[in-house]
Amino acid sequence: MRLGTIGALLGWLFLFLSVVLLIPIAFSIYYDDGNWQFFVISSAIGFVLGGGLVWFCVSEPEIGHREGFAIVAFSWLAAAALGALPFYLSGAIPSYLNAYFESMSGFTTTGATILKRVEVLGPSLLFWRAFTQWLGGMGFIVLSLAILPILGIGGMQLFRAEMPGPTKDRITPRIQDTARILWSVYVLFTAVETVLLMLAGMSFFDAICHAFCTLATGGFSTRTDSIAAFHNPWIDLIVIVFIIIAGINFSLHFRLLSGNWKTFGRSEELRFYFGIGIVATIFVMLANILFATYDSWSDSLRYSTFQVWTILTGTGFHTANFDQWAPMCKITLVTLMFLGGMAGSTTGGIKQARILLFCKFTRMQIRKLIHPRAVEAIKLDNRKVPAEVIQSILGYLSLYAVVFVFATLIVTGQGLDMVTGSVAVIATLNNIGPGLAGVGPCENYAHIPGLSKGVLIMCMLAGRLELYTIIILFVPSYWKDVRYPRWRWSKA
Amino acid sequence: MRVVVIGAGEVGRHICQQLSAEDHEVVLIDRSADRLKRAERDLNILCIEGNGASARTLEQANITKTDLFIAVTDIDEVNLIACIMAKEYGVLRRVARARNEEYFSGVSPLNEYRLGIDLLINPDQVMAQEILRISEVSEAFEVVDFAHGEVVLVGYQVKEGNPVCGVTLADLRDLRGLYDFVIVAIVREGETIIPRGSDLIQAEDRIYLVVRRRDMAAVEDLFNLWSMVPKKVFIIGGGRVGFRVAKALEQQKVDVALVETDPIRCEHLAEHLDSAVVLNFDGLDAHDLLSEGIDTADLVVAVTDGDTTNILSSLLAKYHGAKKCITRISRPDFIPLLGKLGIDVALSPRLVAANMILRFVRRGAILSVASLLGSDAEVLEFVVSERWVNVDNPLRSIDFPMDTNLGAVVRKGKVIIPSGDTVLKAGDRLIIFSMKKAIPMVEQLLTS
Repeated sequence: MRLGTIGALLGWLFLFLSVVLLIPIAFSIYYDDGNWQFFVISSAIGFVLGGGLVWFCVSEPEIGHREGFAIVAFSWLAAAALGALPFYLSGAIPSYLNAYFESMSGFTTTGATILKRVEVLGPSLLFWRAFTQWLGGMGFIVLSLAILPILGIGGMQLFRAEMPGPTKDRITPRIQDTARILWSVYVLFTAVETVLLMLAGMSFFDAICHAFCTLATGGFSTRTDSIAAFHNPWIDLIVIVFIIIAGINFSLHFRLLSGNWKTFGRSEELRFYFGIGIVATIFVMLANILFATYDSWSDSLRYSTFQVWTILTGTGFHTANFDQWAPMCKITLVTLMFLGGMAGSTTGGIKQARILLFCKFTRMQIRKLIHPRAVEAIKLDNRKVPAEVIQSILGYLSLYAVVFVFATLIVTGQGLDMVTGSVAVIATLNNIGPGLAGVGPCENYAHIPGLSKGVLIMCMLAGRLELYTIIILFVPSYWKDVRYPRWRWSKA
Repeated sequence: MRVVVIGAGEVGRHICQQLSAEDHEVVLIDRSADRLKRAERDLNILCIEGNGASARTLEQANITKTDLFIAVTDIDEVNLIACIMAKEYGVLRRVARARNEEYFSGVSPLNEYRLGIDLLINPDQVMAQEILRISEVSEAFEVVDFAHGEVVLVGYQVKEGNPVCGVTLADLRDLRGLYDFVIVAIVREGETIIPRGSDLIQAEDRIYLVVRRRDMAAVEDLFNLWSMVPKKVFIIGGGRVGFRVAKALEQQKVDVALVETDPIRCEHLAEHLDSAVVLNFDGLDAHDLLSEGIDTADLVVAVTDGDTTNILSSLLAKYHGAKKCITRISRPDFIPLLGKLGIDVALSPRLVAANMILRFVRRGAILSVASLLGSDAEVLEFVVSERWVNVDNPLRSIDFPMDTNLGAVVRKGKVIIPSGDTVLKAGDRLIIFSMKKAIPMVEQLLTS
């Protein structure tokens, strides 16, 4: 555990973000919303902090796997802190805690907001909100791996900590190339969706913001009523299609784009993902017809499809206030919140691969009762899944349950009612955004007490980095062999 | 014909024995002087000590004058290289044995055609195919396809109490009515009889019938036999053969249980099989076999490496009520004995592989050849060509050798039961049943 390495890399991250913070200025000037100076100040703060850290801390030549976790975790915490500054400085969000919540909700692609009406932010801040989601969706550390040579050594440790998942598929021998490919695919899809949304009638500003938040499965919209504000079935359709795309493993997209149809069709997880989404859609649609939520079955289909996919992938856009739906539909949506999209996608939640392997493990346990001496292998895509992977999935699920229970205890302990409290934890831990009751699609998170907000912020980050990267920071033995930074002026 | 065989293992020896009995000139090459000494003592062949893939040894064996080259050593690579060399020396036909499945994959850019090998034979694959062929019909111990599968030769064991016991063939011929079938041979106490109309069928006989495939069910009905695809199959021994059989059966949606002793091998099997249940215990563990329901199995395939395990587990399964068993045995001398013990089908991988090679060697006008297990008879299929001297002649004018029976004539998919007046026409397929010692004479007659 070398703090010097961590400090130096955090410094580089601040420098990177200080550059990124200049982008919204273009929108600020174009729309003349008077917020440009706040971005300049934030950028300057980032530059000074980053420059200082880079100057003072000497990075070790190699990043160990322990440092990897700390670098990623602290980078995210720091990025959210810096990303909150424009909201705070502009006075749009007067409390820094709320600004931090909004910023973390952005970077972790959660989409939970503390704003009653988002329109008060003005174009440049709305763009920044969407942009944080886009950066967080594929992971800004992966992005810096792709474009910055500084993270060359030990990049794999960071990649693993930021883009975890039950299964690993490297599409190139060098991790930098993989990062570059994933980001290219991501940028390509974002561009395509922006163009399509503009063709469907959105302005360029709305289109690019929504494209950012769809591909990142984030869910920040430029309107308080989210996608519902546009009253346009074509926009609904485009957004659904890209939500589904964002829930698919990006290395599969790359294979498809490079002409390899076969792996795409063969992926068991993909079939499982579509199977769950389609069955849930039909189920919720039938329930909505049964309880006569909508006048026509076509409305039922339209709203059920959108809500099911947006919740399943943890996007959090909405076209209907599903808090008003029948309890059966609501409980279905809450169950879907846990699932998430495919491993290697930008979605939150447990991930389909883990669910699928867990189902297979359960089936194997049952078969073992019938044939006590049978030897079985759990297979994914016709390849054997090693026992360690299954064990880590079981551990992951238990840890997930423990985190959920503890977070809910704290949140409900501060006076939130049972549905609001538990669903708020579920919606942040799985990076969904809107939940039910007090945090429903037409409500916001502003009324939640301070400590609970802190817990939910940690839930968002733990959910985005898939628990271990965050949980490990709370283990005392992780900090045992801390080595303080070697300052630049000290003799080696 | 001059034949060079390299590898004096079980398969090599069997081929040498067969070919030299058929009056071919056989040269056997092996590295072990010991094994050669044994072969030389038993067989009428020339033995040369040396590496089969070395040019010097091959030249010593007078390779340039050879018509057929068979490489059946234990080492795949030696077989392949020897065949490539043989091609360079101008040998007409080359046969190689290769165990490693990777050499068979169709995707490899270097397949057998490229290597100039006419027949690449994998003994495990051939064994598995044989087991699958026999598994199709529950009570038949032998099934051989002829005329593109339209006609089959089936062997049945006649059990005590079967209504056909004590019936003469002439009576059966009247009873037959709608269906065309011929009883071409009866094996009684290890002796093959080419039956006449007055012969009786007795209990414990093994009878061989030639029948059209679609009439098979009706004929089995007539003989009070039943036939069906097995629903539940136990495979004891998860070696390469067991694995192949399990894989093929599970693709036919059959319930497969595969028993294997080695836990590491079990892991491997479980990884590569889907619906088949891989069980990790000894094939002789009666308690575990029964608790997994071996007594209700339609078919038990015992293919471990140990003959004793195979025999004992087959007997155990049969005793508890399994319907049929196929047992692998590496010593073919014991095959006649196993029938007496109640084992339905005993297969020797060596015989199976050697027969496959012999079938290929005899290819020409003769389409396929099958050696019948536990008897010294073979079945040949022959297409009558326009140039054959006996075309358009009635059968009675053709001088068939002794110990040979024209089982059936297949003309345009119809089975004709031959009599003295039957006239053979061009394009007819003859299914001929012959004792092994008469085969050269049959070949001579057919190719004249």
